[in-house]
Amino acid sequence: MMVPETNTLIPLKVHGVLVDPNTDTQIVVLRDEKNSEVLPIWVGTAEGTSIRLALENVIPPRPMSHDLICSFASHLGFTLNRVVITEVKNNTYFSSLILTKDSLEKTIDSRPSDAIALALRCQCPIYVTPEVLERRGGEHLDTWLAKLDQKFSEQPESE
Amino acid sequence: MLNQMNVRGLLFDPYNNAYIVILRDENNSDMLPIWVGKAEASAISFALERIAPPRPMTHDLMKTLLDNMDAKVISAVITDLKENTYFAKIHLLFGDSEFTVDSRPSDAIAVALRTDAPIFASGEVLHKQNSEELERWLENLKPEDFGKSDT
Repeated sequence: MMVPETNTLIPLKVHGVLVDPNTDTQIVVLRDEKNSEVLPIWVGTAEGTSIRLALENVIPPRPMSHDLICSFASHLGFTLNRVVITEVKNNTYFSSLILTKDSLEKTIDSRPSDAIALALRCQCPIYVTPEVLERRGGEHLDTWLAKLDQKFSEQPESE
Repeated sequence: MLNQMNVRGLLFDPYNNAYIVILRDENNSDMLPIWVGKAEASAISFALERIAPPRPMTHDLMKTLLDNMDAKVISAVITDLKENTYFAKIHLLFGDSEFTVDSRPSDAIAVALRTDAPIFASGEVLHKQNSEELERWLENLKPEDFGKSDT
């Protein structure tokens, strides 16, 4: 899969992780820098927990799976340069990790949950393509997002 | 001294709502049960049953990443047991150098199974493991407790 050039991409920040009580999954909420676009991504419990730990800067007593991946990369001299959410198909998001070492660049497909968990730990930027942001829509997303804002004011902020 | 271990299976521990990975040495004389979380148990079970999930799971990504960095997993070693917690290390070969990375045993086992790397336990760990307590626990096991992970 071709990863678009960074200058056409939109940088996103992880706003928080919510628990979706209806499906027993978690929702990672990403926002752009102007706070005008919101991208919610449903992830599994383990991945949601891993993202939350990284957001809250909790250093677990033992390395979690994503800490181990970061530790592999740093031992071998690779840097996670950026992660890009590249595509959405049938409500499933796809993303890529871009790893660099000197002039070498490697692009690896990943689930967005892993990509986000790694980006937070390696402190690299998270990008989304404009196409994904446009297509994420759907009519009930707006209603859902309105409720979400309410939920965030009830839940403690994770940033 | 290191003993090579095989993953014999996964059990569900209903008392602790956790899973147990059963490792046995090659002569079947020593057994090492390691308690792991649900996500780690399913990562191990996918590898044991050679199921390829529709999307790469975290440990599949770990393997892809190591492949892309041209690193090879030499072995996973369960190195220590302190206060009921096991510690492990993953040995990597990268170029001409060997690297050792600290890991939880669950991650080490999940990655070793995916890369066909051997799993070892130190003799110390096998000794330290409280066999008395384990036997009591095993006696209480019912046949229906044996099964595969439900994920």
